[in-house]
Amino acid sequence: MRTTARLFTGTALAVAAIGAFAAPAAYADNEWNNQSNQSNQGHESLEIFPSSASPGETVTVNTLACGKHGHGVGDANSLGAGEFPLSPSTHKEVVVGQFRVPEHVKAGSYWISVACDNGKTARGDLTVKHRSPSGHVQTGVGGSIGPDTAQVTAGAAVLAAAAVGGVWLLRRRASGAQGH
Amino acid sequence: MSNRSKGWGIAAAACVGLWLVHNGSENVTPPVPSAAQAFAAGPSVHTDAAADPLPPSPPVRLRIPETDVDAPMMRLGLAADGALDVPPAGNRNMAGWYGDGTTPGAKGTAIVAGHVDNADGPAVFYTLGALKKGHRIEVDRADGRTAVFTVDAIEVYDNKDFPSRKVYDEAGRAEIRVITCGGGFSKKNGYQGNVVAFGHLIGVR
Repeated sequence: MRTTARLFTGTALAVAAIGAFAAPAAYADNEWNNQSNQSNQGHESLEIFPSSASPGETVTVNTLACGKHGHGVGDANSLGAGEFPLSPSTHKEVVVGQFRVPEHVKAGSYWISVACDNGKTARGDLTVKHRSPSGHVQTGVGGSIGPDTAQVTAGAAVLAAAAVGGVWLLRRRASGAQGH
Repeated sequence: MSNRSKGWGIAAAACVGLWLVHNGSENVTPPVPSAAQAFAAGPSVHTDAAADPLPPSPPVRLRIPETDVDAPMMRLGLAADGALDVPPAGNRNMAGWYGDGTTPGAKGTAIVAGHVDNADGPAVFYTLGALKKGHRIEVDRADGRTAVFTVDAIEVYDNKDFPSRKVYDEAGRAEIRVITCGGGFSKKNGYQGNVVAFGHLIGVR
């Protein structure tokens, strides 16, 4: 059930990512681009969906940097995912590419960069976070539950000793009575 | 000693023996934490300040001096349903940690699990429910350092109502969770809950 839910979430994110291409207004937002470029130092901005992903998840990146009908090569070596191609999407001004977050990447922040055929570069930040476990753990079968055998054994031993002592006492009494 | 007093002594011994046999025949269950150890009862009288988190490094051994726990640690993954895997049931002295999560001592929430028992008897975290606030949990790490945690609370959760986010969500400081089975037990359904010890890093050796 949960796996299905996760797959569905992943699909929903991918659909959302594709849906974003149909909204070029978002890219034309100069204020947003300027802010992004300030920390990007010469790189154009790279959109990353989802911006926070878990190992095994597929990440989609897209940028306007490569221009109309452009192509580019993405670099996800920072997290060991190698290089990946970017090609024009259904919305022609945007190039899009995908890579998979490797299974054994540590949680943290990773730069993803794109080198366009037109010489421009784009860069963005991917946060890798690990899935948390969910639900309780199965860490017992009840094998520790039962009688305290050590105590029962000790009790039996004490009882046996008392019985031996009792017999000895009775016999001593009996022989003592004979003596008088 | 007179025969009479010897007789009384033997009778007393017989009573003790009977009591031992009777008491020992009742089922012994793993210790259950008292309400005073829950978060709801408030913080412990003496709460140590949080220490600065360490860089990540895998854990190798876990110790709880108060209850004589001293066990090697293995990496655990997630089962298909998202639940944390557990160490092999055959090994009674093995603790595990969620290998894709925070390492003990690093910033975040390190998750540790181990068996309360297996088919043969008590296992590594049989005594977890006997811990109290302020007790220490020590984790030796691959980098040679030992992360020392203090216990903030011991809680018991029903399996049907397990608060995943409270237990597993990443903390803003270095924290640890130690989880095992507990709560009620029924022959049909096994353990009905989990005992969870919550702790935070207070020092490094």
